[in-house]
Amino acid sequence: MAAVQVSEAEKVYIIHGVRDDLRLDGRGCEDYRHMEIETDVVSNTDGSAKISLGHTDVLVGVKAEIGKPKAMVPDEGYLEFFVDCSANATPEFEGRGGEELGVELSNTLCKVFNNRHSVDLRSLCICPGENCWVLYVDVLLLQCDGNLFDAISIAIKAALFNTRIPKVHISEDEEGVKEIELSDDPYDCMRLNVENVPCIVTLCKIGHRHVVDATLQEKACSVASLLISVTHRGTVTCVRKMGGGSLDPESIFEMTEAGKRVGKALHVPLMELLQKEESLGKKRQKVGFLG
Amino acid sequence: MLKSKTFVKKTRAGGVLKIVREHYLRDDICCGSEVCKERKDEAPVLQEDACIESNLCSYPHYLIPDTNVVLHQIDILEDPLIRNVIILQTVLQEVRHRSAPAYKRIKDAIHEKEKHFYTFTNEHHRETFIEREPGESANDRNDRAIRVAAKWYADHLAKKTNGGSLKVVLLTDDRANKEKAEQYGLIVYRCEEYIKSLIGNPELVDRLALQPDDQNEITDSKLLFPEHLPLSRIQSGIKNGVLLQGTFHANRDNYLEGTVFINREGEDINEVLLQGLQNLNRAVHQDVVAVELFPKERWVAPSSVVLQDDSPNDEDAEEDETENKRVVKSENVLKPTGRVVGIIKRNWRPYCGMLSQSMIKEVTGFNYKVNKVFFLHKKQTNIYIHVKKLRHPIKFHGVLYQDFNAYNLLLIFSQRIDMVPELLSSNLCSLRSNVERLAFSCIWEMNHNAEIIKTHFTKSVINSKASLTYAEAQMRIDDTTMNDDITKSLRGLNRLAKILKGRRTEKGALTLSSPEVRFHMDSETHDPIDLQTKELKETNSMVEEFMLLANISVAQKIYDEFSECALLRKHPSPPPSNYDILIKAAKSRLDSAKALADSLNNATVENFPYFNTLLRILATRCMMQAVYFCSGMDSDFHHYGLASPIYTHFTSPIRRYADIIVHRLLAVAINADSTYPELMDKHKQSSLCNNLNYRHKMAQYAQRASVAFHTQLFFKNKGIINEEGFILFVRKNAIIILIPKFGMEGAVFFDNKDKPSPRLIFDSEGPTLKVEQHTFRMFDKVKVTISLDASNIQHQRIRMALIEPVIPGVSVPVPESEPEAKKPKLDC
Repeated sequence: MAAVQVSEAEKVYIIHGVRDDLRLDGRGCEDYRHMEIETDVVSNTDGSAKISLGHTDVLVGVKAEIGKPKAMVPDEGYLEFFVDCSANATPEFEGRGGEELGVELSNTLCKVFNNRHSVDLRSLCICPGENCWVLYVDVLLLQCDGNLFDAISIAIKAALFNTRIPKVHISEDEEGVKEIELSDDPYDCMRLNVENVPCIVTLCKIGHRHVVDATLQEKACSVASLLISVTHRGTVTCVRKMGGGSLDPESIFEMTEAGKRVGKALHVPLMELLQKEESLGKKRQKVGFLG
Repeated sequence: MLKSKTFVKKTRAGGVLKIVREHYLRDDICCGSEVCKERKDEAPVLQEDACIESNLCSYPHYLIPDTNVVLHQIDILEDPLIRNVIILQTVLQEVRHRSAPAYKRIKDAIHEKEKHFYTFTNEHHRETFIEREPGESANDRNDRAIRVAAKWYADHLAKKTNGGSLKVVLLTDDRANKEKAEQYGLIVYRCEEYIKSLIGNPELVDRLALQPDDQNEITDSKLLFPEHLPLSRIQSGIKNGVLLQGTFHANRDNYLEGTVFINREGEDINEVLLQGLQNLNRAVHQDVVAVELFPKERWVAPSSVVLQDDSPNDEDAEEDETENKRVVKSENVLKPTGRVVGIIKRNWRPYCGMLSQSMIKEVTGFNYKVNKVFFLHKKQTNIYIHVKKLRHPIKFHGVLYQDFNAYNLLLIFSQRIDMVPELLSSNLCSLRSNVERLAFSCIWEMNHNAEIIKTHFTKSVINSKASLTYAEAQMRIDDTTMNDDITKSLRGLNRLAKILKGRRTEKGALTLSSPEVRFHMDSETHDPIDLQTKELKETNSMVEEFMLLANISVAQKIYDEFSECALLRKHPSPPPSNYDILIKAAKSRLDSAKALADSLNNATVENFPYFNTLLRILATRCMMQAVYFCSGMDSDFHHYGLASPIYTHFTSPIRRYADIIVHRLLAVAINADSTYPELMDKHKQSSLCNNLNYRHKMAQYAQRASVAFHTQLFFKNKGIINEEGFILFVRKNAIIILIPKFGMEGAVFFDNKDKPSPRLIFDSEGPTLKVEQHTFRMFDKVKVTISLDASNIQHQRIRMALIEPVIPGVSVPVPESEPEAKKPKLDC
């Protein structure tokens, strides 16, 4: 991941600041940076969202395609993730530089989102054992300024909220040959229930305390971070420790509690915002990438 | 301004694709009217004084038709009277999707300068573009787009003319659209309403297409035929054995019946019977069809009903069908029965047919709808002539002709259509008296018992001493006073011929009878004056005998030389079941041709001289068709009718193509000619045989149709004739009667559409038909009246009605025989 060079003195300054619940940009330990979300930014996807969190910019697009359900769960659809670390985000991603990070990110996202507790996978089933919707979630990193997981997860939630899957129905002729028929009304769509879709809260251990939404400088001061995915009810669905350092059990417990608290608080304004944007309908002024 | 149009599409692989197209809107699209002076970059199309006299619109106006009007009333729009029409892009696009011909016609109209049609690209105009609303169907959206564009025009023109009189009129036949447009403040009329209001142009009303109005909609929901299956399902059905593929052959007697011959190896069923229009399902003769077999319980026997396709409405056909189903089932005659589920390959060819008038009477306007097309199966007088391009010149008699068409000779009432040019056929190839002619000769040395000692084939030059007709030759033989060389040799030949014939008959050759009809023609008008069956003389038989002998000798020779590729002719033994009808008629038992011939010879009845002939006619019907074949492709060479183990056609190269091939083979065999690859290829030879057989059959049909046609002409002039006849067949609803005097057959039907049918009891074992009190048996003598039924001018036919025996309610009183009647009376 994009790294910045931080001197010893700077590190001490940051660690001391965190200890006093005062960070470089004036935030508290459990505060996010300024966040901007816009949905329906890519017209040829079925659902899309763009988020900027600080200087981290992420674009997520969801494409729904008809596929075959997995043999183990014939009555469920599934999600597939692909994270593209473009060299736009940072020169380090040039060539195959971003590949490893991309795979790591998409694997984690798959673990967090592709389960029936997060997304109602049953609603993606068209014909059990035969056809289901496969949601291809493509994540494009436009700019990296720390806390990629949180930004991506929020963008995914927004994009899934925005996703409109065309309604299909199965017609069967006399011989039992099934055929999928599309509704000819483009407004006749299926929406996903995103209520249970979790958000990832990454907590970085800095000194004896931990912070959310760490910037790159803060990240450089941290030895280990904990990635917690939390639903709107505060249920933790996934925890993952990252980084080379170690965490003592007590601080893990503390960090989990903090993550739950922050995550719960994150969902409410996010959903409000999405609903509000939706209600504007066509009158909404599109910002796009130039805003 | 940029908008995007989004729609979802299903891909061929079954996926769903979301397609987004960019859609640019402009504000510089010209309205195309002369009144609008804004832009001058292109000449305005719509005139300022767009006047047409109308009761409804007294002001100058432009027309805006909606999609349905363009689709259905294109005849009106094409009329030169209709000018100054705005065709919206929405309308044009919809028309293009729905009907390519209509689109082409409207495009042509737009390109015509005098018509002043203008295409307004409303979809790209900033003010007239609309987006589809949630819950709105594509059609509703287009209707709305049309209304919006019409409204824009109305406002635009009003502004440009400062409230002048120029207006737009929206034409629509859609009631909902009309109401909405009225609410929207547009001038809107139904097309019919508008056209009828036009003063001085009543002819336009005739061009109006009839709209099925909600009130008097003709509910023609009755599905006439079950739908054909799609090709993919037919293919999978054939693959898994549910369906069978075969060639459909229509029954010549019964238009409701047909047979499908399954041409697949290893199939235990090779013939499927189809009965009823529904099961035939629009298959036409020689189509390759897919059939579905019925379960065994529904198998039926071929019906013995004679059906003539004279019922123009389906109800009758359906009655007939149910009647067919009531045929008493006797297990042994049941055949695999099925129905056509799809047509794999149509036998496209020109058909001769006529359109029958619709049963539904229309009150106003023209009805362009064609309800039904009937094919004339029987009364067709088309003559098909076999034309075969020859790659190799015909070589015989030393005369060489390069590359010309060979016909099989067709005899159509004394008119010959020759296979080879006339010079060849009637001069160079005829042995005329005292002229030297090149010939191919078959020379026998025979003893007095007509046993062949030596056979010799050679090319020869012949100077014939005399050319005689059959009658002349007969006269010389019979005239005991004549004792010249020619007459003597004739008598000698005749004696030998009789021995030959006797020997042949001994072996079991059949003398079968089929009455040959000859017309006496009026030399001026070519109308038949009289009609009689051909009389056969002894000399006919004499010539025939030697011809047969020549054919047999040649057949043996070419087979000996070319065992693989000799062109021979065979006549298969008929299967015993074919004799059923004959056995029933004569109660004679037959298993060989000899037995048949003997029993035929013995079968005479006192006081009934015609009985034997009748039997022979019937026996002919039992026979198989004699066919050409290639010796390398078949093992059974036997000629049943002639009782010869081998046979071919050699004697008439000027009228049969087969003979030419045989000539070539023989010429090679005697080292008089060289061979060529096609001649020695047994597959090519075999396909040639198939074609010959097919053409021969077709020529026969044409000949038969020609005879039928001229029989009809004959009876047309004769008026009503009473004649004696014999019952040839007894059918379930009719008796087939042979009139010996004219050699013609006809059916007397007992069921009638107008009257209640008499009580009919049909016994298939006899077979007998009991009508009221009287029982008809085969060969019963009856008296009928023959007349021409001209009630349907396109479907004339000869009608027979019973006079004797008198059955009340069935037979007709003896009509006055009026030979010169101009207008034949119609019987029921």
